[in-house]
Amino acid sequence: MTYRFTWNILWSGQTGGWLLQGLITTLEISAIAWLLALALGLLSGALRTAPVLLLRWIGAAYVEFFRNVPLLVWMFFWYFAVPPFLPQTLQDWLLEHSAEFWAGVVALGVYHGARFSEVIRSGIQAIPKTQLEAAQSTGLTILQAYRLIIIPIALRLIVPPATNETLNLLKNSSVALTIGVAELTFQTRQIETYTAKAFEALVAGTLIYLVLCLAIALLMSQIERRTAIPGMIARGAGES
Amino acid sequence: MIRARCLGVWLISMLLASFAPVGAQTTLEKIDKSGVLVIGTRTGSPPFAYVNKNNEWVGFAIDLVEKAVVPALAKKLNKQIKLEKKESAPQTRIPLLTSSAVDLIAETMTDTQSRRDQVDFSLTYFVTGAQFLVKKGSPIKNIQSVAGKRVAAQQGSTNAKLIRERVPTAKLLEFPDQPAAFQALAQGQVQAYTNDGIQLAGLRAKAPKPEDWAVVGEFFSYEPYGMALRKNESDFRQLVNIGLMDAISSGLYFQLYDKWFGAKGEVPYPLSPETKRFLEMQVVPK
Repeated sequence: MTYRFTWNILWSGQTGGWLLQGLITTLEISAIAWLLALALGLLSGALRTAPVLLLRWIGAAYVEFFRNVPLLVWMFFWYFAVPPFLPQTLQDWLLEHSAEFWAGVVALGVYHGARFSEVIRSGIQAIPKTQLEAAQSTGLTILQAYRLIIIPIALRLIVPPATNETLNLLKNSSVALTIGVAELTFQTRQIETYTAKAFEALVAGTLIYLVLCLAIALLMSQIERRTAIPGMIARGAGES
Repeated sequence: MIRARCLGVWLISMLLASFAPVGAQTTLEKIDKSGVLVIGTRTGSPPFAYVNKNNEWVGFAIDLVEKAVVPALAKKLNKQIKLEKKESAPQTRIPLLTSSAVDLIAETMTDTQSRRDQVDFSLTYFVTGAQFLVKKGSPIKNIQSVAGKRVAAQQGSTNAKLIRERVPTAKLLEFPDQPAAFQALAQGQVQAYTNDGIQLAGLRAKAPKPEDWAVVGEFFSYEPYGMALRKNESDFRQLVNIGLMDAISSGLYFQLYDKWFGAKGEVPYPLSPETKRFLEMQVVPK
């Protein structure tokens, strides 16, 4: 008794097309969720360093609430618990336009937004306080100082941990299969159903995730190199 | 038979292959040595295998193994055999078997030709077919009427495959387990949930208000449940089959059927005369 590998099931029949569809869905859900996460992370990361106590509390409440509940629970929350409270017309529209996909996007985006927030906060806090004071002394308001000076510098500081978060987000998109999103992991399971070839399907999925993540890591390291601020963070790997 | 296409594939397949047992021990030898039969079964598939209100892992399939298969094994090996249960799911059950993590899959697994390329099956121990669970009064009556509708199915099930092939206009949503699919139906995310008729009947019986739900449509598939075991283990398969055949001919099978599917059972689901006849005809003479 040994398992017989039949690799050609991966490109015969419909399986190749399914893997491609799964890959596209994974990229779509991850890309939209990433944009949402970045926006929420920037906002709440900035709020957490704001000079107003109430704003800091709002930022902290968002982060602690969303990052401390498992992603799986958030998937069910956004898919099952939220829609009944939406206006009827929006509910109907969502049901006809892949409600599970949008619930997945929001679940991933809001969850990772809370995690991005901490990354961005650490970037902002790594900047000496004098930088903000200098910006204000040139006549910028605090909002302008954040928008023009602090956030751009912080974003350049946080590329390595942000890469980490991006890779996590991509891989966590597979949790969306629990609410029926037909992403990459879902498709590998589908191949298993049709062909009873579990190992081959898993290997295919594994390799695709690996290649995707390596590509992202490579891209981010390029960005890191190009956006490094000479004299401030041009040390170690960033230097060349 | 590992044919490496590139280094990466080769490495990973080596890794996977390393999970496979090294020695050429047969299942029967393994059970003889350990004194334990390990089965893969479900925790949320009433009444075949589920965790009941008293937190006991029970069900029709588990009873069959415990009262029919285990005694046959114990008699042959001439020693006490303990039963150990592990959770399996549609996606994990074949790997669980082939990696020797379990010796027998006893749950709602349909015997199919493509699965027989990977595993062997015992004789058929239950017969059902795909139907739909809908809200009472729903316009959905059969497979034709789900065209253009949102339909839930269980991931990795044969029913999802059939809907996709026969009603391509239906919007199919696949969920990993029964509770999620039922939740989607209860909230109107989908208009029907398709699964094997007996499983839908089980779900309906467990629902807070069973009278709000209806199982509709004729069987649009044939789903014979068998117990799966590793390929080319004819000694072990023979014992599993003897256990099941003895249970059918001695009437034990029908007692157990009545316990779970009778009028007072977990899920009332009368045995049709055809199915009864079919079961009896699977019993070959001693």
